[in-house]
Amino acid sequence: MATPTTATGPTTGPLAADFAAVLPDTCVITDEVGLRSYECDGLTGFRQVPAVVVLPRDAEEVAACVRVCARHGVPFVARGAGTGLSGGALPVADGVVISLQKLRRILEIDVENRRAVLEPGVFNLDITRAASPHGLYYAPDPSSQQVCTIGGNVAENSGGAHCLKYGFTTNHVLEMEVVLADGSLVTLGGPTGDQAGPDLRGLFIGSEGTLGICTKVTVRLLQTPESVRTLLADFPSIEAAGDVVGDIVEAAIIPAAVEMMDSLAMEAAEAATGAGLTVDAPAALIVELDGPADEVDAEFEHLTAICERHGATRLHVPTEAEERARVWKGRKAAFAAVGRISPDYIVQDGVVPRTRLAEVLTRIAEMGRDAGLRVANVFHAGDGNLHPLVLYSEAAGEHDAAEELSTQIAELCVELGGSLSGEHGIGTDKACSMPRMFSPDDLDVMHRVRLGFDPDSRCNPGKLFPTPRLCGERPGPYRPHPLEEAGVIERL
Amino acid sequence: MTTSDPTTVTPSSLEELRDAVLDRPGPIRVAGAGTAHDWAGTPAPAGTVLSTTGLSGIVTHNPGDMTAEVWAGTPFAQLQARLGEHHQRIAADPAREADGATLGGLFATADSGPRSLQYGSLRDVVIGATIVLADGTVARSGGHVIKNVAGYDLTKLLHGAHGTLGVLAALVLRLHPTPQVTATVAVPCDRAAMTDLARRVADSPVEAAAVAWHDGRLLALVEGSERGAEARARRLVETLGDEAGLLAPDDATAAWEAHDAAVRARPDDRAVLRFGVIPGSLSGVLDGLDTDTGGLTEVTASPRTGIATVALPADADVVAAAHRRVADAHGTSTLRQRPPGADLPAFGPAPASAALLRQVAASVDPDQRFGRGRLAPWLPLPSTTVGATA
Repeated sequence: MATPTTATGPTTGPLAADFAAVLPDTCVITDEVGLRSYECDGLTGFRQVPAVVVLPRDAEEVAACVRVCARHGVPFVARGAGTGLSGGALPVADGVVISLQKLRRILEIDVENRRAVLEPGVFNLDITRAASPHGLYYAPDPSSQQVCTIGGNVAENSGGAHCLKYGFTTNHVLEMEVVLADGSLVTLGGPTGDQAGPDLRGLFIGSEGTLGICTKVTVRLLQTPESVRTLLADFPSIEAAGDVVGDIVEAAIIPAAVEMMDSLAMEAAEAATGAGLTVDAPAALIVELDGPADEVDAEFEHLTAICERHGATRLHVPTEAEERARVWKGRKAAFAAVGRISPDYIVQDGVVPRTRLAEVLTRIAEMGRDAGLRVANVFHAGDGNLHPLVLYSEAAGEHDAAEELSTQIAELCVELGGSLSGEHGIGTDKACSMPRMFSPDDLDVMHRVRLGFDPDSRCNPGKLFPTPRLCGERPGPYRPHPLEEAGVIERL
Repeated sequence: MTTSDPTTVTPSSLEELRDAVLDRPGPIRVAGAGTAHDWAGTPAPAGTVLSTTGLSGIVTHNPGDMTAEVWAGTPFAQLQARLGEHHQRIAADPAREADGATLGGLFATADSGPRSLQYGSLRDVVIGATIVLADGTVARSGGHVIKNVAGYDLTKLLHGAHGTLGVLAALVLRLHPTPQVTATVAVPCDRAAMTDLARRVADSPVEAAAVAWHDGRLLALVEGSERGAEARARRLVETLGDEAGLLAPDDATAAWEAHDAAVRARPDDRAVLRFGVIPGSLSGVLDGLDTDTGGLTEVTASPRTGIATVALPADADVVAAAHRRVADAHGTSTLRQRPPGADLPAFGPAPASAALLRQVAASVDPDQRFGRGRLAPWLPLPSTTVGATA
């Protein structure tokens, strides 16, 4: 019989007792030390100890836990691996964290029909590991793919370096089993791209845990491309590298990935990985082409010519898979590597239309100078998704200035016709910036849809939507979208 | 129930659209070009038909960003022609475009063609939308960038909504480059053989954009560069054996046109059903339906996506049994043609998510003003008929 400790609040006792009735003792955490390990996700600046953490072992247990929450009228937050970077899995005070880490079975790899059926706690990379002996893989590859879960990917609509060509989680999920706020289990989507009735699956994907908990997901698997060719090219300026991306688009080539790094990011990444980056080059591109060999060879010739035309100072073509992996390691390790050149840093995530990359980078550099802070840039150049890294020193008292600069950069992206987030999500981090991108009516309609799923707003409350509690009494005002100012779109 | 003809309004701006929704009382039936007027559920009487055809044209096209915002009432074929001038296209090929279907209509009916094998359906290339709700609220979701996770992807809610929940005013699309070359490989085969042949196409490294079976042969489409596409098509011919051949350009065009004509055929006194099942089950389900219905006609099938369109007798029991057979195979099905006066079931057995759909509908269109009947019985007609007549 469970005798949970009730150190955290007056409501914890009866709540924990009800969880103990549906789960084994070891799956209900109420002790202070245990709870504390769930107090934040990858965005560690926001912390909140929950009242209870539960670790159900299958969908039925997840549903039972949600029903306990419903009975007690308490909010709950679903959590995968906790790698999110926007505070989407931040617990709610006096609320419950429902961890999906025990639902980690790969239920089926269906080779003939090219799909995998997964529990939400399966690591992203493990899907490809399980599929690769059959010549198949799972396309979305967020940088954290070794440690992030498919359930978290569904919540965030995760992308990755290769999403320019292959799309995002929403383009690869066929079907999901979902536990709704009342504890009922429903299936969204179907076995094919065919769809009868509105696409509730597409609505759910990327809803950041605010519409329910995904307990099973069927994803599409793709055939491993016959040929993969990667080019690392240095350029005399960010503009030159940007022009190359424009010409690639013009040439009707859709690369699997186009990544750009500036010198500061390369300095850090090279120090950490020795990937072979040129540390004093102003900009470098990593371009990857994949597909049938006949096609890739033709495109690669074209690509090389484009780079040369724009004054590439070095073209490096890693030929072995191992060498290619090293280049990618340099890119993917860039975030963490920045720790080598700065005591503290903030990773930002914003999107601009690709053709405004040079403009946004100039503005970011100016804003950095004004704030007296350095900004390193690593980004997915093909789709305009920026990851500026704001470098600062906590010890030197630069934290608030860095936070402010980082927020300004995200809002600048909106001002340039882009988005607050390309892949990290809104979560807790950017909820207060949402009125910069969406009008009160836009947000109201989203909220009405949410009430259709969760009338009491108990699924991950306080995320995604701006609230007075989170943002102060006056969330930032809506400012007209540039297209609106230009008279291209109207807002009535 | 009204016996008078409904009033048709044709707004030509977002403001007029919003005003029409606010000014007209009661239920509203949303219509594009009318090419799917008898798809899904039978529309309930409505005092107003809201035509989107006045909302036509490209709002913005940014070739360098490969995005475009387009009014929902724009004829799809016209749109593709305009984008083609910039060597760009929407990577979707629903057969109905040849009948003048609008972008919004194709989106609302979740239509798609054979290229969905590689590119997905319109849901996969639409990155934002402007919608008008029944209370006149104008809302936007998504944006003008292809990578964007800010806020709910509300646009998806209207994909497959058949004119319920809200009206699409404009859509923002991700564009793809027009391939330099398309090549089609054909191999004669009966339906029993299509699954294995299609599997061989899928297992080869050529990455076909579409694989479809129609009228005794399997067609595989390869798209790409001048040098690459032809080499790939030749490899595919080798893979598929002696009977396979590369079609001459005119023959390829004719073959796909014949396929599309079958998809959009309107055979007299027949019902048309579109369904999707796990690809490995497709052949078996088609055989079962053949037996159940006394013979399918106008059969087109995509053996790698599991999607097929078939014509069958316009008999309520036969259509219901066909829906059930698809549901038993864990698939989805939608009625695509209902002869005038026929009362045929639009969908199969209601899934558990139908209750969720009703709750969402109650939240965004509580009086069910838009598209009454189109999603019935999953979204049943309101029990009261307040405001049913104009």
